[in-house]
Amino acid sequence: MPRRLPCPDELRGDPVEISLGDATIRAFTGESVAAALFAGGYATLSRSLKYHRPRSFFCLDGHCGGCLTRIGGVPNLRACQLRCAPGTAVHGQNAYPSPDLDVLGAVDLLFPKGMDHHSLMTGNKLMNAVANRVVRQLSGVGRLPDAIAPAAEPAELLTVDVAVIGGGPAGLAAATTAARAGARVLLLDEQAALGGSLRVDPRFGVAVADRAVAEARAAGAELRAGWTAVGCFPDDNVVVATSANALARVEAAAWVWAAGGYSVNLPVPDNDRPGVFAARAVGRLLCEHAIVAGDRICVIEDDGPRDYADALIAALTQAGALVERVAAHEVTAVRGRGWVRAVVAGKRRIDCDAIAVAAIPAPASEGPRQHGCAVTLDAAAGGFAVQTDHEGATGVAGVFACGDVCGYRGPVAAAGMGERAGAKAAAHAAIHAAIQAAIQARAR
Amino acid sequence: MAKIILCRCEDVTLHDVEHAVAKGYDHLEEVKRYTGFGTGPCQGKECLAPVALALARLTKAAPSTIAPFTARPPIEPTPFRLLASDPAAYRFDDEEPLEPDPSGGP
Repeated sequence: MPRRLPCPDELRGDPVEISLGDATIRAFTGESVAAALFAGGYATLSRSLKYHRPRSFFCLDGHCGGCLTRIGGVPNLRACQLRCAPGTAVHGQNAYPSPDLDVLGAVDLLFPKGMDHHSLMTGNKLMNAVANRVVRQLSGVGRLPDAIAPAAEPAELLTVDVAVIGGGPAGLAAATTAARAGARVLLLDEQAALGGSLRVDPRFGVAVADRAVAEARAAGAELRAGWTAVGCFPDDNVVVATSANALARVEAAAWVWAAGGYSVNLPVPDNDRPGVFAARAVGRLLCEHAIVAGDRICVIEDDGPRDYADALIAALTQAGALVERVAAHEVTAVRGRGWVRAVVAGKRRIDCDAIAVAAIPAPASEGPRQHGCAVTLDAAAGGFAVQTDHEGATGVAGVFACGDVCGYRGPVAAAGMGERAGAKAAAHAAIHAAIQAAIQARAR
Repeated sequence: MAKIILCRCEDVTLHDVEHAVAKGYDHLEEVKRYTGFGTGPCQGKECLAPVALALARLTKAAPSTIAPFTARPPIEPTPFRLLASDPAAYRFDDEEPLEPDPSGGP
């Protein structure tokens, strides 16, 4: 069972009540809706598109789609990205009659080897028409919102010397260094709180993250949490960013991509069971919310770096959890349809009530790819990593990258690379400004 | 029955990727089109790297020869009303944003 640990009031916030369907759940304003639901003992929020397998929390970073649910009458919101407020009303979706007891889950059992939708009922015209109607009914994701959304705030145009995308160790170091060099710096991060991987790592945690944030702010950088870079348009030299209710066009002389990595799963049987979390999600619950994910936690590892898993296991053990680790290639089954009960590895059975998957995070390289940066697939890097030199130069003029988006390297190395990239970006912006000034002087 | 899920948004299994490769769809873009992986709410954030690495194993291709699929904006789920709030999104200066229909639309 998940357990809230004693912690300072300011970490957890004020007690509030939220609801899931008809049930009332105790929560805190400092908790994400996902964290509060989980701590309240609620697991299944929706069903998967095709097989209607139970879907639950996985990354708690806002990236996976596992906690998409209906909140406050709006469908498909990420429960991990919204903080609890008094009366927050949550409803499951894409399930009948409810996510816990979904009759369409039979699809999963009827097609044990999977269903090839290319050849499903396509031989007979009448059957095809019927199948189309049924499939359209079954595979929807959510119903329309209850009400018209509020009007967005006026859009902003933000012009800066250096724009940093990502507020983890690399991005904060880049912003601090560039601001100290005299550049006007804007940093955007999509999470509600800045600090990135520092906040979910027991070796650093919220306090260290907050110190790095304070340092960047003291250096003069403008830091915006809750702002997502949703697209890069290099022909216009624009990155478009959005917050919950506003949009901004960002123009910069130099760009630093420090978007980090996404938590990914490992290919073991039934790796999508509710109760299978990304290791960093278990770390987030512990470090950010003071919630231990379970009494007995099984850590499934691949052959990547072990330092994060080691630190997480030590912290979970100290918090009173029994932790066992197993290599992904040994796992033969994950038991527990509604919630995980055990991991089976050949003849070894590890009883557990939560699983943490410690895989190398996949570089979040979409933005740099839109910017024209080269990426290379590399298992050791976690996926498609941005290619740079030692200083973070990507080969695209004025575009730099640093940290785990260039391949997993961990918070300390990421911060070091961020410093170098921030210095280079500030220098590039200074040259850009000098050229602009010279052009203007000549025009006069 | 056990399934190894690579893309949880679209329920794409390792078996599906193997099936696609066996059918001759052995490029990442083809596997995406055949299986639908990477086309759900997360747009490949969770599945792109695992599927690409699985494809490299199955086709015995060097990972460095596999290119990712195109990641178009928006990178994260974005309400249309925010995109519509950008004045530069309107082609003509005199074009006013549409008022929402109080009836909730047709």
